Amino acid sequence: MTRHIAIQAALSLLSLLLVSILVFWLVDLLPGDAAERVLGQDATTEGLAVLREQFGLNHSALARYLAWISGLLRGDLGTSMIAGQPVANYVAGRVQNSAILAAFALVLYVPVSLALALLTAVYRGTAVDVGLTVFVLLGMCIPEFVIAIFLVSLFAVTLNLFPALALLDTAQGFGDLVRMLFLPVLTLTAAMSAYSVRLMRESLIQILDSDYIQLARLKGLPNWRIMGWHALPNALGPALNVLALNIAWLIGSIVLVETVFNFDGLGRLLVNSIRYKDTPVIQAIVMLLCAVYVLANLLADVSIMALNPKLRTRR
Amino acid sequence: MEPVLKGISRRRLLLSSAAIAGSVAVLGSSGNASAAASRVLRLASGESDGPTGTMDPAFNKIDADAARISLVYERLIILDKNFEPQPQLAQSWSSNEKGDVWTIELKPGISFHNGKPLTAADVVYTYRRLIDPKTASPVATTFGELTPEGIEAVDDKTVRFTLKSPVVEFPSLIANRFTYIVPEGSTAEELRTRGQGTGPFKVQEFVPGREPSVFVRNEAYWREGLPKVDRVELRAIADTSARLSALLTGQIDLSWDVPRVGLQALQAAPNLTVVTVPSPYVMSLTLMVDVPPFNDVRVRQAMKLVVDRQRMIDLVLGGLGKPASDQPVASWVQYGLDEPAPARDVAKAKQLLAEAGHPDGIDVELYTSEATAGFLEMAALYQAMAAEAGIRVAINKVPGDGYFANVWRKVPFLCTSKGARNADEALSQFYLSNAAWNDTHWKSEEFDGLIAEARQTLDTAKRAELYRKAQRLLRDDGGVIVPMFANSVGAHRKDLTGFEIHPQKNAQDFSQISIGG
Repeated sequence: MTRHIAIQAALSLLSLLLVSILVFWLVDLLPGDAAERVLGQDATTEGLAVLREQFGLNHSALARYLAWISGLLRGDLGTSMIAGQPVANYVAGRVQNSAILAAFALVLYVPVSLALALLTAVYRGTAVDVGLTVFVLLGMCIPEFVIAIFLVSLFAVTLNLFPALALLDTAQGFGDLVRMLFLPVLTLTAAMSAYSVRLMRESLIQILDSDYIQLARLKGLPNWRIMGWHALPNALGPALNVLALNIAWLIGSIVLVETVFNFDGLGRLLVNSIRYKDTPVIQAIVMLLCAVYVLANLLADVSIMALNPKLRTRR
Repeated sequence: MEPVLKGISRRRLLLSSAAIAGSVAVLGSSGNASAAASRVLRLASGESDGPTGTMDPAFNKIDADAARISLVYERLIILDKNFEPQPQLAQSWSSNEKGDVWTIELKPGISFHNGKPLTAADVVYTYRRLIDPKTASPVATTFGELTPEGIEAVDDKTVRFTLKSPVVEFPSLIANRFTYIVPEGSTAEELRTRGQGTGPFKVQEFVPGREPSVFVRNEAYWREGLPKVDRVELRAIADTSARLSALLTGQIDLSWDVPRVGLQALQAAPNLTVVTVPSPYVMSLTLMVDVPPFNDVRVRQAMKLVVDRQRMIDLVLGGLGKPASDQPVASWVQYGLDEPAPARDVAKAKQLLAEAGHPDGIDVELYTSEATAGFLEMAALYQAMAAEAGIRVAINKVPGDGYFANVWRKVPFLCTSKGARNADEALSQFYLSNAAWNDTHWKSEEFDGLIAEARQTLDTAKRAELYRKAQRLLRDDGGVIVPMFANSVGAHRKDLTGFEIHPQKNAQDFSQISIGG
């Protein structure tokens, strides 16, 4: 098992390296350069020359990549071209903000999707199942930003229950913070509950049809006990796998949600950095997000092994 | 594909909102999203702000920069809504007979935020810095007539500008977004985030890329009784729906950048006032006149004739615009050409195309994007209008990001927009033969001559006639289709007074605003 984890970890590192090359190359392929992006419609030849010199754009892409990666190995993320300050300080505050948002979303998402999966599995084939499934299919067709705008127009503009924008700096106390995060978190949860409910429903149905559950029923155990004691723990494995997959959803959705709610996090910073082709910042954020994703998968792998007695035993 | 469960959150929400409402009550939070203090003014710009943000007037670029800079600094001369020069820090100005020596007197009793009195030396420093190649300010090209030795302090309150050649419109020329006066000796590094100005507000906190930018009242402001708010917080809210929601829910007090279409929600909101003013903001389609078939003036005229201008305004701008006549100077702007916009004439357009050797019409490719609100609609509508005259337009929609860097001036036919400018700038910056931004490649010696002559004609009536002649020439021969000018539109809370939206997005005046009576 340790060996397996070591191999997985090495593969993860290799894929991160490949991602860094790929992202650098793709950003470089985008038309225009940072100097043109910054000056926009007001670009003059002289102005462009000055900025290109300042941004170090006169070196080849390969030289710039090697400089970046060697810096990274020394623990130096480089300097944002546009902001002119070290990327590390520049990104740190946003990492924290996005982490708060993601944490809230995860906390909400796990019980919500489990409960729903359980409902559709237990009431399989009934009106409850059909109704919820239709709901799911409908929800699937609606992109996050539409959901976000819908939630804002309903709960912020019409009912005035929650603020429309998550302006964290205006929060006075924890209560305010919760109220501000409520709508963005709700949107994220909606996006994440994506296909996890369906996947968990399938695995729950398998479990519910299995011999040991039948036996428990024959023994006359109460329903809540069968569910809580026998079915759910066994469904957790697949749920963890889905969770790891969902981290990808979460990362994708955060970008959209932060834009709609004017939330000062990584996603918005990434969008802005891409707008300006601020390569060091793009690299730092993408690497971080990929690392989170890779790590989540690694952890899911390990915990599934830990949860599964068959994989744990050494024969 | 697995179905996605999104609906459930809405269902779950009813449970959670009750729970959260409970927790909020327990935590004793206000539960109210509006500002705590009534004397805080919260502004939102529409264009996104970010690490490029600055408060250095020499690099005033985005809307948020312009707002920050206009809160903190002031100019000698500003332009009113008709683009006529008005004094701000200047007491008066005068020129010699020829118009190549200008003398500007400063108002007395004005100080910078640090208490240092404003003198002619600060003005000299500011202007020399702007034209210094080492500064690399985009305004340097506009100030080709200025030399460092030609900018001098006659005495403490008098500045003299000696130009290489006459510029009779000098007061308008220096009333641009870059010429805010900074104290002598200010470094670029100081000016970027903590500059000292003479303006109504002092910067309290500005970190590029971090929101909000915070400004506090300048207690020693030279205009009696102003400003009327204690604190200004500026954010950039680029997402349109987010900006509107923030206005509707009272998280923002004022935005001077509101989409022209879909204003109904704002107009119907009991807590908001929508403000609008005609602006010479140009919405246009640009043709390169050296690329066939646009190299035949009859084709260009046919392409202008197919436009139904009022319909364009109604459908693209929600009615909030003014018809234009294929040149960038609006009729109400100083020196504007007050002649009715060309009427739509499909038959004549067909005839012109036939004369140009295209009896079966022409096929053209029009580039558009979401770079400016209304581009997509303008392109689609033009396509429909042109089709009737046999001009078959294929629309090529490209990404909005980097549109002006990667597409503008690189393709022969595309949607363009140009910020509100005065007559001379609007004509010269894009249509002179040697203009750096000549996006139509139109070169007319006659036009160049008219502009040069107008700039040296002291008699106002004669000068106006020369500018008007230049406009007619551009309208009839040039490579730009300007169907309309788009109004400036803003919105603010009902109990906010003292704000008049300016047609130039970068020239808003926040100094007289008061909130709550």
